[in-house]
Amino acid sequence: MNRLVTTLMILILGSVINLALATEDKFHFDEPKKDALFLELTKELRCPKCQNQNIADSDAMIAVDLKRKVYDLLQKDYDKEQVIEYMKQRYGDFVYYQPPVNPMTIWLWLLPVLFVFAALVGIVITRKRQGVEMDSEQLAKAQEILERDE
Amino acid sequence: MKKIALYLIPLGLFLGLIIFLYQGLFSNPREHQSSLLEQPMPEFVLPDLMNIEQTYNEDVFLGKVTLLNVWGVWCITCAIELPYLKQLQGEGKHIVGLYFDQDMDPDFGIKTVARVQQEVTDKLSQLGNPYAFNIFDVKRDLSMDLGVTGAPETYLIDQQGKIRLHHIGDINPRVWKNKFAPVYDLLVAQ
Repeated sequence: MNRLVTTLMILILGSVINLALATEDKFHFDEPKKDALFLELTKELRCPKCQNQNIADSDAMIAVDLKRKVYDLLQKDYDKEQVIEYMKQRYGDFVYYQPPVNPMTIWLWLLPVLFVFAALVGIVITRKRQGVEMDSEQLAKAQEILERDE
Repeated sequence: MKKIALYLIPLGLFLGLIIFLYQGLFSNPREHQSSLLEQPMPEFVLPDLMNIEQTYNEDVFLGKVTLLNVWGVWCITCAIELPYLKQLQGEGKHIVGLYFDQDMDPDFGIKTVARVQQEVTDKLSQLGNPYAFNIFDVKRDLSMDLGVTGAPETYLIDQQGKIRLHHIGDINPRVWKNKFAPVYDLLVAQ
């Protein structure tokens, strides 16, 4: 009985894997260049329904539909930019993992640079001040020792 | 005095961070600005769900303020939303359904139209029918052009056929009052 169950499980698993492979094969291009572009695009386009998955990874219906659309568009000789533009027109900037640079998003790049800059300035200032303080203190100490010796 | 100011900087930064993160607790990551707002309805030619012979295009929305509700019988939240939509329809709102089927794979088409119609009839006779008519988005093309991410979603379309609102999720009294009513009342008053 147990063996029967195991055999059944293996059979079911096998068919599931086959099915998965079959869906992978569904989007096939004649040109290897387009194949590569398809993989690249489905990795960089974000599934609008799921929070953090690209459409290549997601099995949501919308992701499957988007994959099919990317396939259709590539078959129609759209280039990468055109496909991304097509998706952005419908799903907004959200759909592409690379955010556009605009007055709102510029801070994503500016803030880290500003932070590093501010930290550097801070370090330089404290170093300088500490240096001076230590020197005068040591001088006083040295003076004291000198005076004691005399 | 200068020293106090120096100590206040990290405190200020910390408070700023706290406020930023606190706001994040209440923001809805699923909500993002639709890129179709203020745009005319995309072009389409699609059949009526119940009468496949009859087709509609984007001109069907001209002259009326319409709520275009994206739904399907497989969608649980849609079933929760239906009675409230029925109520809105009772108040005189023009509601059109955009129906799409989850199991209808454009490449395989494993479901017959008759079965989809039967399912819809069953569901609507059970929960009430708020729809003036249903557009059948057979291959989910219009949904894609509209930027639909799932169901339920609702669009408010003005008399000129322009999209004025896009709501992801169900419509309930709170959503209607806060999001739809102000725009809807303004449009109807025109």
